[in-house]
Amino acid sequence: MTVHLVGAGPGDPGLLTCRAAELLGSAEVVVYDRPSMADILALAGTGDKRCVGKSGSRPAWPQAEVNQLLVDLGRAGREVVRLKAGDPFVVSRGGEEALALAGAGVPFEVVPGISAAIAAPALAGIPVMVRQIATTLTVVAGNEDPEYRQRIDWSAVAAVGGTVVVLTGRSALRGIAEELLAAGMAADTPVTAVSAASRAHQRRVTGTLAALPDPRMRPPVTFVIGAVATLDLLEGSDAHP
Amino acid sequence: MSVEQHYLVGLDLVGRRVVVVGGGTVAQRRLPRLVASGAAVEVIAPHVTPAVQAMADAGELTWHARPYEDGDLDGAWYAITCTQLTEVNAAVAAEAERHRIFCVRSDAGTEGSAVTPAVGEHDGLLVGVLSGGQPRRSAAVRDGVLSALRTGAVLDRPELGRLAGVALVGGGPGDPELITVRGRRLLASADVVVTDRLGPRELLDELPPHVEVVDAAKIPYGRAASQDVINSTLIEHAKAGKFVVRLKGGDSYLFGRGFEELIACAEAGVPVTVVPGVTSAFGVPAMAGVPVTHRGVAHEVVVVSGHVAPDDERSLVDWPALGRLTGTIVLMMAVERIRAFAEVLCANGRPGDTPVAVIQEGTMRTERVLRTSLARVAEDVTAHEIRPPAIIVIGPVAALSDELITE
Ligand SMILES: C[S@@+](CC[C@H](N)C(=O)[O-])C[C@H]1O[C@@H](n2cnc3c(N)ncnc32)[C@H](O)[C@@H]1O
Ligand SMILES: C[S@@+](CC[C@H](N)C(=O)[O-])C[C@H]1O[C@@H](n2cnc3c(N)ncnc32)[C@H](O)[C@@H]1O
Repeated sequence: MTVHLVGAGPGDPGLLTCRAAELLGSAEVVVYDRPSMADILALAGTGDKRCVGKSGSRPAWPQAEVNQLLVDLGRAGREVVRLKAGDPFVVSRGGEEALALAGAGVPFEVVPGISAAIAAPALAGIPVMVRQIATTLTVVAGNEDPEYRQRIDWSAVAAVGGTVVVLTGRSALRGIAEELLAAGMAADTPVTAVSAASRAHQRRVTGTLAALPDPRMRPPVTFVIGAVATLDLLEGSDAHP
Repeated sequence: MSVEQHYLVGLDLVGRRVVVVGGGTVAQRRLPRLVASGAAVEVIAPHVTPAVQAMADAGELTWHARPYEDGDLDGAWYAITCTQLTEVNAAVAAEAERHRIFCVRSDAGTEGSAVTPAVGEHDGLLVGVLSGGQPRRSAAVRDGVLSALRTGAVLDRPELGRLAGVALVGGGPGDPELITVRGRRLLASADVVVTDRLGPRELLDELPPHVEVVDAAKIPYGRAASQDVINSTLIEHAKAGKFVVRLKGGDSYLFGRGFEELIACAEAGVPVTVVPGVTSAFGVPAMAGVPVTHRGVAHEVVVVSGHVAPDDERSLVDWPALGRLTGTIVLMMAVERIRAFAEVLCANGRPGDTPVAVIQEGTMRTERVLRTSLARVAEDVTAHEIRPPAIIVIGPVAALSDELITE
């Protein structure tokens, strides 16, 4: 009887890990964030499903309440799957949930998932690493966190170069691009936006740091910055939705 | 009636009258599937649960809010009686018998002329199990079959076995349960599997005997040449009409040479599918209790290959810039040269007391975790005889794990 912090991958049920699929099948309670995860939730069969994310006009639960819910369910001895988009620890608050459970003495298990940071580019035909082109991958949280401003040293990110993947960056992209340009990253550095990877309405749009791709795409959007961003390994194949 | 005498069948109920007598929780459980089959469902019951009421309100079925009367089964093809009153259920079953309508009695299965199997659905497929009055047994078997279908342990599309070309499948860090559902399915349909030293090698034991397994780690050439041999192995088998799965550790695109293999296949006109995998860069720290990002601690993570030294002319990595980052650094293939990496990071601003976690053979039974600091990591790696494959996580997140060890 434990709480499983489970990565759900980018959204396609085929990209769940076997362990995640198995746990969902036997879960008594599934705690999830996005109503758009319906295909994955269907695997949970008769398990009780609780949405703690934004749903319709109702805002997302505060993190402290999510933590408490997990602790309570865990203490009640329920078999709980806490489903997190992508990987539970990549630009996600899985770490806070893990600490809350550990602090309360509730046994838990972490099941990694495929992060959108790697899968969204891959599903759009972009390998995040290519020998000779990019041998580092930097994944950053793009959104301004009001409590933790200026956490990221963009000049160091620019200097490291390679491939930079920005998650949760839809509204912050312009500011990030300005920081990277000011730090000396070339204006013609390619930037590709990948929207709704692994879904039927997946799209990609490429621009540059100086002429950013139009951010008016359906969320969620992952941005890839760097030389690999112009690659399209799926060009001409029918794998592009 | 014993179970052997039941006959399992699929009914085409589209547009046909089906009568359900009773509107309680049993009816509520049966109704969605009846409605989904397209039957013209009529519920006869003085009272129903809110869920049944909602289905009636939505026009999915017709509810007659009154008790059962003889004659209610007129024109019905199928009936279910699930009231709490034995005499009503018996009367319904008797009427059904007279009119030769198959009827399920939920209170006394053996006294009806039909029974409802334990049913589950997977990808348009229906699974039904009958066990002669042992519903728990049926449900357990159904759940097992569904879970096997969902994980790919049972293949529901044998035509997948005739897939063509090459699939580059990221197998995850090593634990066989961390491969994706799709990767597992493709693996089960492979004619040829080309593997590496890393990744979920245990899965190879489950392959049927006719599957040819080529171990790329055993190709006896230099590093560069062996990649050519791997590429041509993939292409030759695919061109011979075999479905080839290239099973890799982690994700194919993270230092996995997936790009080179994909290009080689594409140039040879061989169709390629890429199935992402859980990369060891994130998955191994996660299972060891190290979150690579953590709000307020690290909002960025850099994955770096350590396969060449910082001063090597082939190195594309700006190590001094890495030293200035405050977030998390994940080093792969870095065990042999960890001293040089730690030195260059410290020399460029990363404090010597920065926490470090080294995880050898992560997610596997043989996993070892070493916790140390940037100043001591080189010594400790030597002292503890850490060997590849290992992931080295540098940054304050590496210390969070102390609190995360629960057992
Ligand atoms: C709060 S973060 C969670 C990241 C998640 N833990 C992971 O590892 O993928 C949400 C961000 O992930 C990215 N994302 C998640 N799913 C995506 C998808 N299917 N397509 C594109 N981007 C996605 C977007 O950048 C989105 O803003
Ligand atoms: C050639 S790279 C391949 C990485 C792979 N494509 C991935 O995404 O995980 C090999 C390196 O991955 C890391 N690695 C792979 N599996 C590992 C495991 N189970 N435990 C620790 N490190 C692992 C080690 O750093 C190893 O040297």
